Amino acid sequence: MTLLTLLASQPAALVPSREQMAFTLAYHIILVPFGVAFPLLTLLMEGIGLRRGDPVALRLARRWSVVMAVQFAVGAVTGTILSFEFGILWPRMMGRFGDVFGIGFAIEGIAFFLEAIFIGIYLYGWRRLPPKLHFGLGWVLPPTGVLGAFGVIIANSWMNTPTGFELGPNGRPMNVNVASAMFTPALGYEFWHLIVALYMTAGFMVASVYAVGWLKGRRDRYHRLGFTVPFTLGAVLAPIQFVVGDIATRAVFEAQPAKFAAMEVTWRTRSHNPEVLGGIMTGDGRVHFGPSIPSLDSLLASFSPSTVVRGLSTFPAADRPDLLDANFVHLAFDVMVGLGSVACLLTLWYALAWIRNRNLPRSNWFFRAAALAGIGSYVAIECGWVTTEVGRQPWIVYGLMRVGDAVNPVNPSFIWAMFTALLVAYAVIAFFFVSVLLRLSARWRLEDEGRRPPEARPEADAPYGPRERTEKKPAGAP
Amino acid sequence: MNSIVDGGVAVALLLTVAAYSTAGGTDYGAGIWDLLAGRFQHADYVRALIDEAMAPVWEANNVWLAFAAVIAWTGLPLLFESVFLSLYPLFALALLGLILRGAFFAFRKAATTPDTRLAATRVFGIASLLAPFAFAAILGAIASGRVGPGSPVVPVWQACLDPLAISFGVVAVTATAFSGASFLVGDARRFIPPHAPGPDLVEYFRRRAVVAAIALLVVGTGALAVIGVESPAVFRGMTAGLGLPFAIVAVLATLAVAFLLWRRIYLWYRTLTVIAVGSFVFAWGLGQAPYVLPGRLTIEQAAGSPATELVLLVIAVVALVLVIPSLMLLYLLDQRSDLQSPE
Repeated sequence: MTLLTLLASQPAALVPSREQMAFTLAYHIILVPFGVAFPLLTLLMEGIGLRRGDPVALRLARRWSVVMAVQFAVGAVTGTILSFEFGILWPRMMGRFGDVFGIGFAIEGIAFFLEAIFIGIYLYGWRRLPPKLHFGLGWVLPPTGVLGAFGVIIANSWMNTPTGFELGPNGRPMNVNVASAMFTPALGYEFWHLIVALYMTAGFMVASVYAVGWLKGRRDRYHRLGFTVPFTLGAVLAPIQFVVGDIATRAVFEAQPAKFAAMEVTWRTRSHNPEVLGGIMTGDGRVHFGPSIPSLDSLLASFSPSTVVRGLSTFPAADRPDLLDANFVHLAFDVMVGLGSVACLLTLWYALAWIRNRNLPRSNWFFRAAALAGIGSYVAIECGWVTTEVGRQPWIVYGLMRVGDAVNPVNPSFIWAMFTALLVAYAVIAFFFVSVLLRLSARWRLEDEGRRPPEARPEADAPYGPRERTEKKPAGAP
Repeated sequence: MNSIVDGGVAVALLLTVAAYSTAGGTDYGAGIWDLLAGRFQHADYVRALIDEAMAPVWEANNVWLAFAAVIAWTGLPLLFESVFLSLYPLFALALLGLILRGAFFAFRKAATTPDTRLAATRVFGIASLLAPFAFAAILGAIASGRVGPGSPVVPVWQACLDPLAISFGVVAVTATAFSGASFLVGDARRFIPPHAPGPDLVEYFRRRAVVAAIALLVVGTGALAVIGVESPAVFRGMTAGLGLPFAIVAVLATLAVAFLLWRRIYLWYRTLTVIAVGSFVFAWGLGQAPYVLPGRLTIEQAAGSPATELVLLVIAVVALVLVIPSLMLLYLLDQRSDLQSPE
């Protein structure tokens, strides 16, 4: 009943606007780990190549730089779309709060611009700069990627824990304090949780490509290096992420109790709150199908089984995630934590093999698991994002502005039409993106097997890549 | 002090719009010539040149667009909200053009059969026409005075289809064709066709650039007349106020490019092209100052909190200080030839 009346009172464009935003963001997030973290992997590989004079490592680094540029170009398009969606879908939020939380995006803008330019410099530099200078200039890339993510998280953490201004009599913000609007309570844990996730995902994803090659019997130095360097980064970060994520969850417990209640499907306020694994909550607050561990949630939330966890039912219905959203948040959270735990086990396996044999694990099962680790990390990232964004519902700015009040009050069929067009366009982009990567990979394999002459300049085909310079003029030109 | 900072933010916004109009516009113009190459005898050569010219800057120009959006919502939030509430269909069209253009440019390279290649070419060309038209129509609708602060003051379709919006769209398409042709002259001069000997592409684009320059002056004059009828205050600003110097520079620079290319003097024509297109944007923007929505909303009324404005302006300056030397380094590398192979 309450759900229906709530839905009826919402603007008709709310549902398609949320769907479109969710789709375009979820799509863009796929490109983010590479944009932020891939440069570091490439530079580590180039560093190994330069220090040991290893042509295999240099070849890997050079090829990775091509992939980096291709995905960065796609991310440039999907990112631009996002910035205009803020206006098309949520104009009232930007008009009311743009000057409070927009600075983060300005920082992200500079970082992105610099990264685009220096990716170009890196690609050009393979042939046109001395190796050490090329390597040195490459080190501009990792900080620009991190700075860009930092800027976006400034904005997102503000939406979760808005501070740094006073509300004027007309509901508009006044007396903005830029520093405290940037450094909100949620910034610290959101930032570290994201950065570790991005590096972990890039590491596992790149490694998984070479794990597949390894399973197919290509057990040469090229595959060993291509697997070991990124996988080691992912494996080192997995346990760290477990701790960072745990800290973040406890901070959410303090700062956003309704989100925490949804994450743990807690309906009534109580101490000795159990940790429910999976399951579905129904309207009466009961959870079905999920096994539960007594008192564990209270223990995790604040180190004591007697910790009182506030239940969803204590929030007015209009101020908390509805039943559907709450279940979605809970399952997404559980999947993320589950995958994180599996990643830690994989780390343990990898570490034990290294300690015992100073070598990669011999079991094919390890490489099968490693081949899935990339996809698994992506699922975890998307789930984490669902947890924080859906868990904030119905608020777009927590406690201050509901999503329904921010949305552009247009005819919903307009949004559905735009959404459909975007779906088609994004499908074309995905097709192109995957086919380019597959073609590159096929070409490189032919080269490595000696069935094709090696490309002197693999980066010449990449977006942002160098173009031929010759003094010759076409026939007939003056 | 506040008004100076607010003005600085508005100028920064205008600069990013001008930068996108010149850099992005040149790319769109190349796409338009790609479309117009049709199935003529030498169309393959023309398209090969356009592919070659556009590949290295693939989608990097979008950065200007994202910058413009960020400066608008952070520095002039009320303007951002008003423009999107009144003109969202134009933004949606522009975005559609932008994304289809990028996707199908790449897609056509990957296409394996002549049919899919032709289809991709068509979509790429039409999208290259749609995006600049829709983006400029937004500016025209703003100049028409039909965008109100906050909620729309006229029905959305009426604001989007305003004669001034259409006029600005036509001017933008002509201007991108002009700058596209002018830059393609330069690219053709160092282009090695895939199957030499090819047609004389320098001549091909030289002639088109001269025609486009004349066309730009004609449609520009027409648009100015529409401004005079619809938005007298903006007209005064462009013909007697702050916009006048830029209007004069825009016309002179366009004429100069036409003259240089007509006489086959391949000097300064690209710089002058950039100056011409940028000046058209500034002539309009400063013509309606201090209003961001003519007659309805001034820069100061649209501006956000003073503290934010100051930080935003500082960030804009820092961006210039960091970005310009980096771009120069990239440009230097582009001009430089390969070192002896390190491998």
